[in-house]
Amino acid sequence: MSGPAVDETAVDRLLPAYLGRQRWFSGPPPESATVAAREQLDDGLEWLLVDAAGGRYQVVVGRRPAHAIPEFLHGQDAAVLGVVGDDVAFDATLDPEYARVILSKVAPGEEGNLVRPMGAEQSNTSLVFDDRIVLKLFRRLHAGANPDVEVTVGLAAQGFTSVAQPLGVWRRDGVDLAVVARYLAGGAEGWALALTSLRDLYAGASDDPAAAGGDFAAEARRLGEVTAGMHLALAAAFGASPGDPAAWAALVETQMARLEEGDVDAVKSKEFVERLRSVASPGPAVRVHGDYHLGQVMRTDTGWFVLDFEGEPARPLAERQLPSSPLKDVGGMIRSFQYAAAVALFERDAGEHETLRPRADAWERRNRGAFLGGYYGTAGIDDVLPAAGADRDAVLAAFELDKAVYEVLYERAHRPDWVEIPLGAVRRLLDAR
Amino acid sequence: MSLPAPGAQVGTAESVADPTWFQRAVFYEVLVRGFYDANQDGTGDLAGLTEKLDYVEWLGVDCLWLLPFYQSPLRDGGYDIADFFTILPEYGDLADAVGLVEEAHRRGIRIIADLVMNHTSDAHPWFQESRQDRNNPKADWYVWSDDPERWSEARIIFVDTETSNWTWDPVRQQYYWHRFFSHQPDLNYDNPEVQQAMLDVVRFWLDIGLDGFRLDAVPYLYERDGTNGENLKETHEYLKRVRSEVDADFPGKVLLAEANQWPADVVDYFGEGDECHMCFHFPLMPRMFMAIRREQRYPITEILAQTPDIPPGCQWAIFLRNHDELTLEMVTDEERDYMYAEYAKDPRMKRNVGISRRLAPLVDNDRRVAELLHALLFSMPGSPILYYGDEIGMGDNIYLGDRDGVRTPMQWTPDRNAGFSRADFARLYLPPLMDPVYGYQAVNVEAEMRNPSSQLHWTRRMLEVRRQHPVFGTGTFEVIPTDNPSVLAFLRCEEDDLVLCVNNLSRFAQPAELPLQRFAGKTPIELMGRVPFPRVGELPYFVTLNPYAFYWFQLVDAQ
Repeated sequence: MSGPAVDETAVDRLLPAYLGRQRWFSGPPPESATVAAREQLDDGLEWLLVDAAGGRYQVVVGRRPAHAIPEFLHGQDAAVLGVVGDDVAFDATLDPEYARVILSKVAPGEEGNLVRPMGAEQSNTSLVFDDRIVLKLFRRLHAGANPDVEVTVGLAAQGFTSVAQPLGVWRRDGVDLAVVARYLAGGAEGWALALTSLRDLYAGASDDPAAAGGDFAAEARRLGEVTAGMHLALAAAFGASPGDPAAWAALVETQMARLEEGDVDAVKSKEFVERLRSVASPGPAVRVHGDYHLGQVMRTDTGWFVLDFEGEPARPLAERQLPSSPLKDVGGMIRSFQYAAAVALFERDAGEHETLRPRADAWERRNRGAFLGGYYGTAGIDDVLPAAGADRDAVLAAFELDKAVYEVLYERAHRPDWVEIPLGAVRRLLDAR
Repeated sequence: MSLPAPGAQVGTAESVADPTWFQRAVFYEVLVRGFYDANQDGTGDLAGLTEKLDYVEWLGVDCLWLLPFYQSPLRDGGYDIADFFTILPEYGDLADAVGLVEEAHRRGIRIIADLVMNHTSDAHPWFQESRQDRNNPKADWYVWSDDPERWSEARIIFVDTETSNWTWDPVRQQYYWHRFFSHQPDLNYDNPEVQQAMLDVVRFWLDIGLDGFRLDAVPYLYERDGTNGENLKETHEYLKRVRSEVDADFPGKVLLAEANQWPADVVDYFGEGDECHMCFHFPLMPRMFMAIRREQRYPITEILAQTPDIPPGCQWAIFLRNHDELTLEMVTDEERDYMYAEYAKDPRMKRNVGISRRLAPLVDNDRRVAELLHALLFSMPGSPILYYGDEIGMGDNIYLGDRDGVRTPMQWTPDRNAGFSRADFARLYLPPLMDPVYGYQAVNVEAEMRNPSSQLHWTRRMLEVRRQHPVFGTGTFEVIPTDNPSVLAFLRCEEDDLVLCVNNLSRFAQPAELPLQRFAGKTPIELMGRVPFPRVGELPYFVTLNPYAFYWFQLVDAQ
């Protein structure tokens, strides 16, 4: 354990470079970092709020003697701040002893013996204790309640069982810093399951996904049922307001304006937006997941669970909490099916793409149908949806389109080779008018 | 090992010394009719089975399970018993049974036999007497009624052949109750004489030296108004009475219940450890097949998560295939459609609510899949039951009708009649398989004995390794989570014996990161070849697996 004299400025000087190495820090290494608050949680364990590059971040720094580097730091260079005096300073979440101290801070009474990190994430750090509970430390902080905590607690209170039950929240000055929840032991991401199914289909003898051993449709159907249950619980927990097709149309219009010339037919786009604007019975707007896709759902021994209600992290918090039609989430998940089919296709040799494409399309169609079948078949779901028929189709198509355009923009910036995947979907949606 | 004193009403010496033997035993299900024909009449017999005990011992089996060998008109494979105290003449006589038991015990092999408690054949003298009129001494030994609508809540089990659980008897001018075929009237357990008569049957065979019974179709012993007639408390009470009498006079014997119910209901048949020693775990089996087709572990882990703990001193019986169809009663409708579509492409393969195939054809004769399924069977919680012939990868003949397709003669040699019998071919009870893939010229014990890389040698080696680690029988079971849904990893643990099993359910090679940090410092030793793997450290333990591959690792302190 380190000595009592803590050289604060020495740690602070190391922060900008350290932040620049973290996946949860957006952007290049900051020029400077200001410590907005700090507290010594334990001997050798310091908690910091750091302002850098316009954002506020949560950092926990552990210190141990530099002459005996502990094994948990091996291969973790990015997590080491540097040497301070006789100590090495590092991300304290890697240290099992300090992790237990943080756990006791977030959920007093909960104990954890064995600790392991859950793998890199974009906006937070998760630690699993005894494969029983998970501590999620939010890294990028925002004023107000964290939507993930707020929604998870709200859903659990409604008796919705497909979220990890929260066991404790660490809140300071109205800001959520960390949450402890039941760990979904033995779970696998929906994304991984979908790819398993697709790889089986692409390697098999038949073009028909229903005939393939790894058929995903039963899972997709159950996922649709869980999704419907989630929306009913969200409506019950956070209320419902009248849906506003004009506002949705404006969103879609703004989004479409970001496309490049020639991406889509302008006349068809206009027709699409007008059709959406004229929806007569749009159904209510409710709190939604907001960033719903196969990577946000987990299959466990007791069925599907929904994770991560933070919404799209790139959007401002206020926007993430805006109510919307539940079909926004439905559209997101459906887009995810096409992405999974495409990603698994791109794993294959380019020479196979043309022959396998019908399988990718068939897989997407089948699982989209199964998901929607499970979703629309859930008792009571009609109450939170647009009227079945043309209105419902128009609203679902709008949210699918919104997501697909977002994907086009993303791919154009990051993976130009992939832009045809969402762009094809955009055109398909417009042509269906 | 000392032999029991002549006439002593005890089991083998070992079963007295260790009444929990069944928790670590490997069972081998034998159709006497199909195993070996000693008297050359075309039908296997008890003397033939005795002749082949050396093979069973060599294979490493601990206990034989014999399908019914009692006097029977054989309208249901011998499950229609016409006399509980007589051996079916084609199989031999009581002296042959005694000889078999003695020879088996001499080799340290135990024997349990099927016993049908719920019903008899309509040819049984008890029924013949009972049907004469409504006042004879056995008039109430069966369940009679004037009302064929009574207990209509009880489902019809053999939906392919039966339309009601009641059948009109023209002799007695009354309906009799039967949960199975109409030629199998249910005994009336409300009658104390019936209760005692069945206990007498149990005592008779334990006196002969049998090591226990597989109790066929136990959930249906009683009928009560307003119930479905399954799992009634009266049924449990009677089974507890059987258990206490067996324990008192025949320590070390085992009762294995066939209750095709959900695990949460089946555990009731263990009582508080005072009912049946063992119960079949039915839903696990189809889900093992499904997990491999789906290439994901959830069909297995889901059902294990729904399986309650069992009382100390009890054990599950688990299996891949048996003489019945691949039972699909315990899967959802959706899963059943899927299993039919996957495994019963020809409608002829379907029976009732199951699929009639042997293991090898079920997995398209893929040796890797067959080995993975066996590795799962030998390492999951429960005592494994092998079905005769599956150890050599025998096939089936779905055109034989009923369940005969999976009951063809054991294939011993490439000689005439598969070396099963020297009778004229036309006299055989069923023709041996002769197709080019599974026929006896290609698949037989003799050839596989000579080939060290055969499935037979592989199976024997697996049983040997399993025997060295009692943890497979009695250890705790814990799934080790991994992000890769195609990998099923679990830990068997008993005191300081730790065995980690990692299975790749996919047809593709797969990686897995296993959170083994709590075993940091230990070295995994692969149990087939005793090869040490890299030490477990502070990071997730990384393994790669070939298609359908599995590892059994013992975790030991680093040397």
